[in-house]
Amino acid sequence: MAQVQRRKKWIVLGGAVLTTTTLSACLQNPNAVEQGGGAAGLNGYVDNANKDSDKVVKILGAFGGDEQKAFEASIAEWEKSSGIDIQYTADSNFTTIVKTKVTGGDAPDIAFFPQPGGLIELAAAGKVQPIDSVLDYDTLAGTLVPGFLESARLKGRSYGAPMRMAVKSIVWYPKPAFEETGQSTEPKTIQDLAKETDAIKAKGTAPWCMGWGSDAATGWVGTDWIEEFVLRVSGPDVYDQWVSHKIPFNDPQIVKAFAEFAKIAKTDGNVFGGAKNVLNTKFADTMTPAFQTPPKCYLQRQGNFASGFFPKDVQANLDSKVGIFVFPPLEGGYGGQPILGGGDLAALFNGNDPDAIEAMKFLTSDKFGGPWAKAGGWLSPHKTFDAANYPNDVTKKMADIVANADVFRFDASDLMPKEVGSGTFWTEMVKWLQGQSDEATATAIEKSWPKS
Amino acid sequence: MSAATESVVAAKQPDAPSQGANVAKIAIGLGGLIVTAWALGNLFLAMGFYPEWFLDSKIIIAIVALIAGVGGAALLFWFLNQFIEGLPVRLSEGVMPYAFLLPGFGLIAMMLIYPTVQTVNYSLANRDSTEYVGFANYKEIFGSSEFWNAIINNLLWLLIVPAVTVALGIIVAVVADKLSAQGEKVSKSVIFLPMAISFVGAGAIWNLVYAYSDESQSQVGLLNAIVTKFGVPPQTWLQLDTAKLNSLLMMVILIWLQVGFAMILLSSAIKGVPEDTLEAARIDGATEFQIFWKVILPQIRTTIITVFITVVILVMKVFDIVYVLTNGRDNSDVIANLFFNEMFANSQAGTASAIVVVLLIAVLPILWYQVKTFREEQMNR
Repeated sequence: MAQVQRRKKWIVLGGAVLTTTTLSACLQNPNAVEQGGGAAGLNGYVDNANKDSDKVVKILGAFGGDEQKAFEASIAEWEKSSGIDIQYTADSNFTTIVKTKVTGGDAPDIAFFPQPGGLIELAAAGKVQPIDSVLDYDTLAGTLVPGFLESARLKGRSYGAPMRMAVKSIVWYPKPAFEETGQSTEPKTIQDLAKETDAIKAKGTAPWCMGWGSDAATGWVGTDWIEEFVLRVSGPDVYDQWVSHKIPFNDPQIVKAFAEFAKIAKTDGNVFGGAKNVLNTKFADTMTPAFQTPPKCYLQRQGNFASGFFPKDVQANLDSKVGIFVFPPLEGGYGGQPILGGGDLAALFNGNDPDAIEAMKFLTSDKFGGPWAKAGGWLSPHKTFDAANYPNDVTKKMADIVANADVFRFDASDLMPKEVGSGTFWTEMVKWLQGQSDEATATAIEKSWPKS
Repeated sequence: MSAATESVVAAKQPDAPSQGANVAKIAIGLGGLIVTAWALGNLFLAMGFYPEWFLDSKIIIAIVALIAGVGGAALLFWFLNQFIEGLPVRLSEGVMPYAFLLPGFGLIAMMLIYPTVQTVNYSLANRDSTEYVGFANYKEIFGSSEFWNAIINNLLWLLIVPAVTVALGIIVAVVADKLSAQGEKVSKSVIFLPMAISFVGAGAIWNLVYAYSDESQSQVGLLNAIVTKFGVPPQTWLQLDTAKLNSLLMMVILIWLQVGFAMILLSSAIKGVPEDTLEAARIDGATEFQIFWKVILPQIRTTIITVFITVVILVMKVFDIVYVLTNGRDNSDVIANLFFNEMFANSQAGTASAIVVVLLIAVLPILWYQVKTFREEQMNR
């Protein structure tokens, strides 16, 4: 009896091993995305499974909640006049979902990509309609902040046009307190700004507020600073080579950006509380000491979203309590005024649907966005957008900064491979602030760049 | 067996299996199985592809899925039963238990064994699991200082947390036992309370305890508020890696969470110690201290081991606390967090799988030991 049981045990075990091995003998298909034909030619078009000319346009995007409401308000009038119904679906897991849907034959008509990477990947697989075949490229290029259309370019053709932008190159200051110091609120160069901050420091207050704390993502604020300096030291061309790894991360031009940033962040007395405090201050709380009386620090370089984290009473009187200026260019570096930021790129997946094309034309024009601008938190990527729509002077000033920018670039850490952009770039910036040298930091990040 | 009882049994089983095969039953069973599986499969596919059939309503889809899922499973089992009853009686009796085990076993295979085998498989492949690379991933992780740092930290966690948790658990259990009934209830509830907090929640709470603000500001962090009262400047607690202080401070959190669990089990074990053994010891003139070490402790040994091993396994998997508080910065990484970052931050499926396989191999002896002691305990009963 015992023997029979033992034999049965072996049979069951054998069966288990057999099932699992037959289930798992293979790896994944390496060409999952590439399936389904080449890119559409000049005369060809990309089609999806949705019905064409049915007066319904399905759009997939990443933003929901209040932003979705503001978006729907901005399209309401156009929907009435054109008779086309835009059905917007928000998915917080957009980056993954859009890839699954498009490769699975369930592409939306239009999708809003928060980063160009995923868009270019799908464009390479021949799933996206190039925008020059449906939109007036020259008009777009004339009114958009330069750099947007380039960010979605593949083999000479552009696959996405922006419908929203975010600006990071902004320096915030507490208006009354900073004006009291007598310093200019329009520094023309980083060197001018350094003179101002030295003067503030001489009076015994740290000029810069910095907060890098962001739980598991601590360090990203530092990467923004380095990106700003790469743009200012070496210009957009080197920036692009840096992002696409045509030059190594520890290239001397990049290391120089670290050195320039060190003049601000690693000089004693320049930053409130020093490295310890910077790493332990949540980025949302960065500006709080600037609104104390007397202020503990004055300046914060942060994106247009920063005002949402200011104390309630400051937010209520934003225009009288807060001022901004653009993070200026570096004398002796790239000549123009660069802007670092982000944006949502609209891409077309249904190239033979006249309704979808009409919607694309509207969404990427400077006519789109009035109600959203009024609701706040939205910036048009067009220099020609009517600034009267913006709710306050701070936002109007931002629009002005954008309109006068010479070149725009997407946040580099979002474009780099994940193990760098949301991995070592963050962690090594923390170590850099804790005392690691410029060279050692850049080399450590370079070493982590994926080989394949 | 008398003829009378035999007839009763026969009457109770009107369609008792005949000796030979019942072709009709086999056909009904097999056909039913195939049709049901086909119909169910199509129904569930339709929910994905043609939501308009269900009026685009997620609620209707959910209700239909619930009814079809439960009903379908019952139907499948019924047809399976028909099929087996149709088999010749000798075969049917042998196959019956396996046929009913098979779905359960299939689920375990699908949810547990298949992923395990696949993980080992992927650990030998490249970053997106499309090509085999041999042992390159293992070479890479064993050659990286981060991995060894995580291993050392995990070992520290293993050495400290289970031992301290069990020790504190015993102390609390013994001391609470001496309190009044009301006092015991209250003190036990308070100590047990943290058990109800998720690890991420606990991490967020303790993040506030260890928070640092500049000297010129008021201290938000509890610990810094206390030390500054004594004139010590505020410290960045979670960045101090001298003597692994940051790791130790995070261990405190896990201990805080788990002492309640240890206390409850150990307390009931202590209460289960027969009163006469204690009385006998007292009559022999043993002190309370001696009674605890020589009489109580040996009798709750198996519970101690169970608690200890449960906490050991928990510690091997510790992730949330480290992820929330430091994400491995300042040399405080542990294996599970390292794996998470490799897998989800860096998209390195190969090295991530290799790390998990190492973790799996490390847990195996402990699991084996636990199963062994459990068996022995069962046998002693």
